[in-house]
Amino acid sequence: MGNSDKFKEISRFETDLNRCVLCGFCTFFCPVYREELVESSLARGKIMMIRALIRGELEFSKEFSERLNTCLLCMACTAKCPAGAQVPPAILAARADRVRAKGLPFWKGLILRYLLPHRRLFGNTVKVASKFQGIFMPRAEGSIRHLAFFLSALGKGRRIPEIAGKFLRQQVPVVAKPPVGVETKMRVGYFIGCANDFIFPQVGKKTINFLNKNGVEVIIPKEQGCCGAPVWFGAGDFETGRKMADKILKVFQDVDIIVTDCATCSSALKEYPKFLADTPERMDSYSKFSAKVKDISEFLVDVLKLPASAYRASAQAKGLKVTWHDPCHLNRYQGLNKQPRQIIQSIPGIEFVEMPNADRCCGMAGTFSVDYYGLSKKITDQKIEGIRATGADVVVTECPGCMIQLIDNLARHEMPQKVMNLMELLE
Amino acid sequence: MLEREFISQLEKILGEKNVLTSKEDLTCYSYDAVGTWIHLPEVVIFPTDAEQISKVLKLADEGKIPVTARGGGTNVCGASVPIKGGIVLCLTKMNKILEINKANLTAMVEPGVVLQDFNMALAQQGLLFPPDPQSFFGCTMGGAVAENAGGPACVKYGVVRQYVLGLEVVLASGQIVKLGGVTAKNRTGYELGALFTGSEGTLGIITKIVFRLLPLPTAKTLTLVVYDDLSVAGESVSRILASGVVPSKIELLDDVFMGYTEKVVPLGLPTDAAGTLLIETDGATPEVAERERDLIVEVCTKGGAREVRVAKDAAEMTKWVMARAGAMGAILRSVTAVQEDIAVPRDKIPEFIRKAKDLWKQRGLRGSILGHAGDGNLHPAVLMDHKSEELYRKAMEAMEEVIDIALSLGGVLSGEHGIGLEKQKFLKKAMDPVAIELMKKIKGLLDPNNILNPGKIWEA
Repeated sequence: MGNSDKFKEISRFETDLNRCVLCGFCTFFCPVYREELVESSLARGKIMMIRALIRGELEFSKEFSERLNTCLLCMACTAKCPAGAQVPPAILAARADRVRAKGLPFWKGLILRYLLPHRRLFGNTVKVASKFQGIFMPRAEGSIRHLAFFLSALGKGRRIPEIAGKFLRQQVPVVAKPPVGVETKMRVGYFIGCANDFIFPQVGKKTINFLNKNGVEVIIPKEQGCCGAPVWFGAGDFETGRKMADKILKVFQDVDIIVTDCATCSSALKEYPKFLADTPERMDSYSKFSAKVKDISEFLVDVLKLPASAYRASAQAKGLKVTWHDPCHLNRYQGLNKQPRQIIQSIPGIEFVEMPNADRCCGMAGTFSVDYYGLSKKITDQKIEGIRATGADVVVTECPGCMIQLIDNLARHEMPQKVMNLMELLE
Repeated sequence: MLEREFISQLEKILGEKNVLTSKEDLTCYSYDAVGTWIHLPEVVIFPTDAEQISKVLKLADEGKIPVTARGGGTNVCGASVPIKGGIVLCLTKMNKILEINKANLTAMVEPGVVLQDFNMALAQQGLLFPPDPQSFFGCTMGGAVAENAGGPACVKYGVVRQYVLGLEVVLASGQIVKLGGVTAKNRTGYELGALFTGSEGTLGIITKIVFRLLPLPTAKTLTLVVYDDLSVAGESVSRILASGVVPSKIELLDDVFMGYTEKVVPLGLPTDAAGTLLIETDGATPEVAERERDLIVEVCTKGGAREVRVAKDAAEMTKWVMARAGAMGAILRSVTAVQEDIAVPRDKIPEFIRKAKDLWKQRGLRGSILGHAGDGNLHPAVLMDHKSEELYRKAMEAMEEVIDIALSLGGVLSGEHGIGLEKQKFLKKAMDPVAIELMKKIKGLLDPNNILNPGKIWEA
């Protein structure tokens, strides 16, 4: 590949770039193409643009960047690709080379490079913002409100859940031990995702309690920061991503297993070596680290191997009919789709119903839904129809991003379904 | 270069968002599904009705600007590549199923409807559009008509041409013409609709199609028959057809394809076999489909098959079908390949296989055969493990000889892919010269300024 420094990140995915044979199977599976019906939305179109970029026929122009950004990175194309081309990683790498060449837009740079890597400052900003919610914007019904400030970029009339009065990290100890009388079988580190920290702290509390009750001691390092997903696994700022990854590695160096209940976080942590390892040393340390990361569903089913009897319905979930939405980061990135279903189906007193297209992307895709809110909503409409067909009371998933998207869009469609994290089903 | 004024006129007709001119977007409409030919258009447009297309074609005709129609971009002969620049007229936004009439067994669709979407909608009403080009996930109905596409189901159900009852077409002059109708029979004048079916976008832009449909067969069986000799597999095909049973699919995969497919979708096929037939039977009841399967299995076993395996359930059937659909992709994961699309009379399949394999052996090339054996349409391929111009030239030369073998056996140059750019250099030897002249005259009559997909089918 010519001009190797300019395309340093892309060149690591050269095989995938070359593997696409242009057959066009992906047209049927790409949620963005299905709405836009233009080839630049599609894996095939993006591959051809990146190839032209490398040949020097295109540049990192505004138009090029726009087209790189209209990908959910949902991997639906890859799952069905007869040639086995993994196009989204190549697209992400192209974003990374673009960031190296052109930087990030101002507001993205501010939030992604400055706030997210500094968890305390981020937390304080969110806290200030939470004071103003409902003042600058009218309150919506129930516990769902319009947010001002911090998420104004996310806003645009979006109904997102209220920011927690007290963040998760303020509510949990550094070491959470199993209760008296329960033997400690294992010791794990718990990774707090930003969204669960600030918006869904009840999820994290559930996870920690459940682990404790099943004999797992949970270490919750206070110095941990963001996994970096929005920064690098979306916007393509690999350099900031590496700094964040290095910090996480250090914080969790003393535990052998790291568990998280955020599908995007577990996926991002596992993908450090694939995307961020720019030196042999980082490849080594990131690989060792990522091997320690377990998504909560994977940990409970494959590592802890809990018997079905360990799963009992929480008070709020008892007697409900639930359906499962596969987060792309859980299903296609980590291959975890049987585990969450197995857990749900083990809970007595909960009826499980499969939704059509359970594995179709919800349309959130992090900052994608900020940049392309209209398009994102259209993609979610398909998901909503699947949910409607189930007649379920609750949509269960394991990614806060998906939860935010589903809460917003179910409300927009005036649908009665609640949205819960998998762990909220459990007693 | 198109003038700004011309682009503005297009924007006025179609709305700004349906007119793309950025280099990025043009790049995305410069190829088809093989990428052998790359040429940028100067503008890409997305009309939403026939009236808009009529206005655009009038303008293009006045300015003698090339117009290349494109749907899902899944063709493999270069037909949708805008080799002379100009306008790519993309029909993906005209994607409505206008009517499904179960009582008349017909449907009316816009050209941008995707085949898989069409069949999913039809299946809900117990109906089927049988022709099944293996690009069904991406190909659009307009493209399927313009390419007169076919697939494995051809052996029993034929190709697209046999399902077109009516068309609405915009001519190069901008006139909108209705051809045929919605009746199963129609003996009114010349069969002009058939002219546009398979025209590769050179005679007009198809804007509406009425298809004949069939009831969806509710029962299916799928059987894998393994052979130690590929030409014996070929003999089985004609034996099956002569036995009085017409299966809905007979697909042939040789050892090379089996090997690569096995890597992607492990079916547990024997690695030392020479080839496999994948045979589907269908019917209104399981008894019908199973009885036909049993007869076929008997014919194959008597005809020298080594092993017969019946798919145990729907999931296994889907797995085998997907393995076949992805066979070419599976090969291209590891090697590059030159592939052809000849068709031979079905009783000549064994002879064709023997001659093609001998030829490759003589030339020291790695050849392979995959195809819709049930209809005699085979895709012989030469595989290359590395990119070498020398090897590519040798492969192309051998391919021309493979085409000659097919023609000498009474076969044709293209069974289902079309001529486009890919096969025009072979057209003269594969078609009566008077017929070529007639085609050119028809083209001249319908498109005197040669604006519709210029540079395709025959060499300039």
